[in-house]
Amino acid sequence: MPEQLWFTEILNHLFAGPVTAFLHVLRITPKHPEAPIPNSFAMELLVFGFLLTLFLLLRSRLSVESPGGLQHSFEAVEGFVVGQSREIIGHHSEPYTPFFTIVFIFILVCNLIGLIPGFESPTGVPVVPLGCAICAFLYYHTQGFKHAGPKYLLHFFGPPMEGMSIWARIPLAILMLPIELVSHFARLLSLTVRLWANIFAGDLITLVFFSMIPIAIPIIFMGLHIVVAILQAYVFMLLSIIYVSGAVAEEH
Amino acid sequence: MAPPTPPDDQNAEKKQNPWVQVGRYSQLALMLPAGTVVGWLAGSALDRWLHTSWISIVGLFLGITAGMIELIRTVLRDTK
Repeated sequence: MPEQLWFTEILNHLFAGPVTAFLHVLRITPKHPEAPIPNSFAMELLVFGFLLTLFLLLRSRLSVESPGGLQHSFEAVEGFVVGQSREIIGHHSEPYTPFFTIVFIFILVCNLIGLIPGFESPTGVPVVPLGCAICAFLYYHTQGFKHAGPKYLLHFFGPPMEGMSIWARIPLAILMLPIELVSHFARLLSLTVRLWANIFAGDLITLVFFSMIPIAIPIIFMGLHIVVAILQAYVFMLLSIIYVSGAVAEEH
Repeated sequence: MAPPTPPDDQNAEKKQNPWVQVGRYSQLALMLPAGTVVGWLAGSALDRWLHTSWISIVGLFLGITAGMIELIRTVLRDTK
């Protein structure tokens, strides 16, 4: 039986049977059929539920005349993301900002939840940052296709070479195709590793110092972890914006 | 009709705040190793599939090249 957080235990107690059956349908055999839900997934679900509740609450209290503190806070976050995406993508960045905002908020809450005793950061497990990175990866390619149509595929054949003859362009494009593909998949890996490694290391440092000196000193590292959590959520969002701006740029 | 605006990319290049630069350059630090690993992994997968032993080496070099190209592109874009 794996080590489980209290929330994971509740989920496994309630849903272990249906989840194991579902995994069998997908031809996946869970390592622990009696507890197929891992801590990371349980924490992700918790963050999802928390954010959904928060947004529903916010939606019900939206007011133009007297906005509350919660509305002010989220408007500030939204304004910040809008500013960043406008700076990088340009004036046509509005359709993409909801994605960037939710990526930022979701990763931030996932990073910070580990500071509360009895919880752990789901982003400290590689599959969660990988999932977020896959979302960003699929999103910027989808937006690229939506923006440029089939012409978007020209992005994978290297930058446009003005004044070069077609006979020189073709071998260069063939050479650039695997390089560009590797470069795009490397973005996936770099997004995953950066977020996972930072949060994992932050958790580990706090834990190590807590086990050595349980008074006062861990607070410094918890403070550092908060800074890292905010910075990493910001960097993930920023890189997603940069990738979308590359995908929707008018190069070809 | 809306007045013509200059291309957005040019606007973005002209005024980038330091945090955006931090984001771009932090990406570069991981881009070289990530490109190398992805190239090698793709090559190894192809090797296993096609029962060969040389594609992983080619993949490794392609990955290194992809990382270098990304690095040079970013530096060129920011020093224009």
